[in-house]
Amino acid sequence: MLSVADLHAYYGRAHILQGVSFALGAGEVLVVLGRNGAGKSTTMKSLIGLVRPRGGEIVFGGQQVAGWEPHRIARAGLGYVPEERRIFADLSVMENLEVGRQPPREGLEPWTEARLFALFPNLGRMRARAGGRMSGGEQQMLAIARTLMGNPRAILLDEPSEGLSPLIVEQMAHAILALKQAGVAVLLAEQNFHFAARVADRAVVLESGRIVWEGTMEALLADEAARAAHLQV
Amino acid sequence: MTAPMPVLAAERLEKRFGGVAAVRGVSFSVAAGEMLALIGPNGAGKSTCFNMLNGQLRPDGGRVRLLGRDISGLAPRRVWRLGVGRTFQITATFASMTVRENVQTALLSHHGEAFAFGRAARLRRTEEARALLEQVGMAAQAGRAAGVLAYGDLKRLELAMALAGRPRLLLMDEPTAGMAPAERTALMGLTRRLAGELGLAVLFTEHDMDIVFGVADRILVLHHGELIAEGDAASVRADARVREVYLGSGATSGGH
Amino acid sequence: MTFVLLQLLTGLAGASALFLVSAGLTVIFGVTRVVNFSHGSLYMLGAYVAWTVLGHLPRDPGGFLLGVLATALILAAVGAVLEVALLRRIYRAPELLQLLATFGVVLMVQDAAQWIWGAEDLPLPRPPWMRGFVVLGGERFPLYDLWLIAAGPVVLGALWLLLHRTRWGTLVRAATADREMVAALGVDQRKLFTGVFALGAGLAGLGGALALPDGTANLTLDLSVITDAFVIVVVGGLGSLPGAYLASVLIGVLQAIGIVFVPKATLVLVFVVMAATLVARPHGLLGRAGATAREAEAPPLVLPAPVVLRWAGLAALLVLAAAPFAVGPFALSVLTEAMIALLFAASLHFMMGPGGMPSFGHAAWFGLGAYAAALASTALGAAFPLALLLAPLAAGLVAALFGWFVVRLSGVYLAMLTLAFAQIVWAVAFQWSGITGGDNGILSVWPPAALTDPRRFYWLVLAVCAGGAMLLRHVLYAPFGVSLRAARDSALRAEAIGLPTAKLRLLAFAIAGAAAGLAGGLSVFSKGSVFPTAASLGRSVDALLMVLLGGVQTISGPLVGALVYTGLYDALLRATDWWRLVLGAAIVALVLAFPEGIAGAAQRAWRRS
Repeated sequence: MLSVADLHAYYGRAHILQGVSFALGAGEVLVVLGRNGAGKSTTMKSLIGLVRPRGGEIVFGGQQVAGWEPHRIARAGLGYVPEERRIFADLSVMENLEVGRQPPREGLEPWTEARLFALFPNLGRMRARAGGRMSGGEQQMLAIARTLMGNPRAILLDEPSEGLSPLIVEQMAHAILALKQAGVAVLLAEQNFHFAARVADRAVVLESGRIVWEGTMEALLADEAARAAHLQV
Repeated sequence: MTAPMPVLAAERLEKRFGGVAAVRGVSFSVAAGEMLALIGPNGAGKSTCFNMLNGQLRPDGGRVRLLGRDISGLAPRRVWRLGVGRTFQITATFASMTVRENVQTALLSHHGEAFAFGRAARLRRTEEARALLEQVGMAAQAGRAAGVLAYGDLKRLELAMALAGRPRLLLMDEPTAGMAPAERTALMGLTRRLAGELGLAVLFTEHDMDIVFGVADRILVLHHGELIAEGDAASVRADARVREVYLGSGATSGGH
Repeated sequence: MTFVLLQLLTGLAGASALFLVSAGLTVIFGVTRVVNFSHGSLYMLGAYVAWTVLGHLPRDPGGFLLGVLATALILAAVGAVLEVALLRRIYRAPELLQLLATFGVVLMVQDAAQWIWGAEDLPLPRPPWMRGFVVLGGERFPLYDLWLIAAGPVVLGALWLLLHRTRWGTLVRAATADREMVAALGVDQRKLFTGVFALGAGLAGLGGALALPDGTANLTLDLSVITDAFVIVVVGGLGSLPGAYLASVLIGVLQAIGIVFVPKATLVLVFVVMAATLVARPHGLLGRAGATAREAEAPPLVLPAPVVLRWAGLAALLVLAAAPFAVGPFALSVLTEAMIALLFAASLHFMMGPGGMPSFGHAAWFGLGAYAAALASTALGAAFPLALLLAPLAAGLVAALFGWFVVRLSGVYLAMLTLAFAQIVWAVAFQWSGITGGDNGILSVWPPAALTDPRRFYWLVLAVCAGGAMLLRHVLYAPFGVSLRAARDSALRAEAIGLPTAKLRLLAFAIAGAAAGLAGGLSVFSKGSVFPTAASLGRSVDALLMVLLGGVQTISGPLVGALVYTGLYDALLRATDWWRLVLGAAIVALVLAFPEGIAGAAQRAWRRS
């Protein structure tokens, strides 16, 4: 569904991604682990086109999308939920969802407001509330729901558990598993290992812009040496 | 025998935003050398509480005392002068300066030399700056631009800048947000050590339960603007109400 | 009573046209984060186009309405072209360079309009239906003005519906908050931006067309309207349409009533109201904090100058000191002007770069210094050294007073407010003819006999200006300058380490004002006279161009900028009548080529090698 080969990206003059390769299968949850500054967010931004990769290939749904404008990549069916959530503070919940709306996609059951409110019941109770007046957890749910309005085939989730209380993080894990059920592939960037272990099928570990470990989540859980070396957990 | 005077005492703090009570009658104190964690769900009033302590917000009711002195409603820079250092949730440093200059600027301010027009700033207080950077393990990076530091190093730089004011109290807003587990432990271990060596009182907010339960001497739990629990790690973890509104099962957060 | 009512209504009628311009300005800023300096030019073009279009249409209400709408559409098309050709390329450039590029458009449009329509004012002959009136309390009030009064709220309502009840409007509001996120959600930003710019330009054109029957199409409309629009947008709150309407009414009525009671101080009155508003509500009547926020690029590291550069500076100084032996009197006078420009530019750089306070009205201090020196030496008969000393004192003192509330603002607000203040100084110099001589200026202000030799005077100017610029540079490396930079980099952190940011900025503002005043004082004695142009917008833009050409973030930047600019400008003036067109095009080209300034680009190249 999404495959990345030898991806290079710069931030200013800093060479952040130094040849990253991985593939995300349909209906799979793949987690990108790594410490801050390892290149997780830059990977996500390169995939959606907010950072222009300087080298490598990104093939999504059979098309070479590296170098495309973000809106074209999004329309091709790749959703993006940024780390800072970036909710439109002045817009209501319904209006935030409207911004994300794109035509239905063939072979996918379209996401409607009703379906999203079933996934995130909190949102349904605050349709007219301004985005800026919601708590961090509610904003995170809205950010995901807003992206789903574009009926993506795959979704990039950048640290959805960051800054959230343990209880909300648990709800977030349920939501991600529900997305997987609905046939949406998920690429997750995370620091919270417990959370990642709960939702992911496979993992890649980034270190200084390179992939240093790759395998199934079970293998990572079993490989104590790798965890200690790369993740210090 | 009377207990020693706490470094910081919050007395029945109140804050309302447009009729909505954000903080309701919160009281607590921190002693020298003590690490106190303030936790609670998003929107529970942690940030509001914090901002009343550091001068960013004026309380609608109650008092903040620093070493017995009422500092409620004083501007942040006055609060700093009285001995309160801070680190921010999203790091705030001076990007157009080197690491050393960042610390020098804080030192110049502390020594009342911010308005001097003579000798270049980078030639002043070099020795003191070096000592502070050494204390936080950043001496090797003194000449680098603050704008290009790794996140964990920025946090340590912030710590050095906070220490430049010779504080009695350190306020840390989500100090380990955005850091890898090992970095988190290292930073809080460093803070722990400094608190002991310098007799600092430390108050911090945090979402990482490994850190909270591992580092804090005492924990306060805030919910809907009120304190619902207070105590050591074991008692807070066992508290049914805290589990219900905040901790959950602990499966995804390390609170096990 | 009736009289006041009529003035009130006249003010409301004027407010409508002001609102249309300001609404466009504020909507464009909201989405693209570009302060479109050329918005007044679009208004002016609207007036001219309407004059031409209406001349070809039946002179009845239907024809008028058709003509006005056609004008709005034509201007919308002009706006779309402008966006695609220029603005699209500079969305990532720093705010002030964007302002500067759009100012280049102002210059080009001025010459283009003069070329097409000539220099004469063009009034619209009023058809009979337009001369109708209603009688209010025994007085006649034009019917057309009543229609104008209604136009404001109608457009406000229509805009509100457009923004809140359509998908396009929702996308526009979302993009106002975070355009990158909107793109990541699958929305084509470029189409959205072009659409918004066309809408804003169309509104400006509509305003120009609707105001035409009450005035003329003329070449001064652009700058007078853009000044009013800046004031309105600042008072109403950047990005707020209802705020823009409220402020338009306030300013419109104030101008209409003020012109009767204090005809010479209308602008001052407007300014006082604006100041009062901003003291009470720093983000305007209905504005909110954060409206000016944009993805801030991390400021580059400031290092001490490399040794090579120091030697180069010393060499340049020696060459300049020896210049009088090598060049003729004309070149010497150009060099004298260049040195004065250098100090002027360095003073602006001081507050703008390290101080983080962009100013679009730096000429205010230059003008104040110039007039202070001129008045001291003519009216008070002060000796040359005293008169020259008074220049920085007067400018610095007023800057300290004005700075008291300016330093609380930031970014675009600050730039607009300084612009408005400079316009006040200019208006006072222009209107208060009893003291300042008005347009005739103050003449025959010459240095004492010992300095009448141009070479000696040049050496004095060189010593004072180069010395002043070096002193400013020294201060930037001293603890004060570093603390000032700290306040710019992170006000939050600066306050948290005990730095009084407002006080630091105020002092920097006063120092910059005093230095600019000194430059102004020198320029009086260099030319022997002073005119209101010393405080004009053009002068402010000169300084900005010099700083931005040189690069804001490099400390040697203003030096390079001042020399290049003075040379370019002088050559242009002599070479062509259409110098505005050429200068405007040059500015636009330079911004497109060097978004970091010339010295900035050189520095980058240097570091890379």
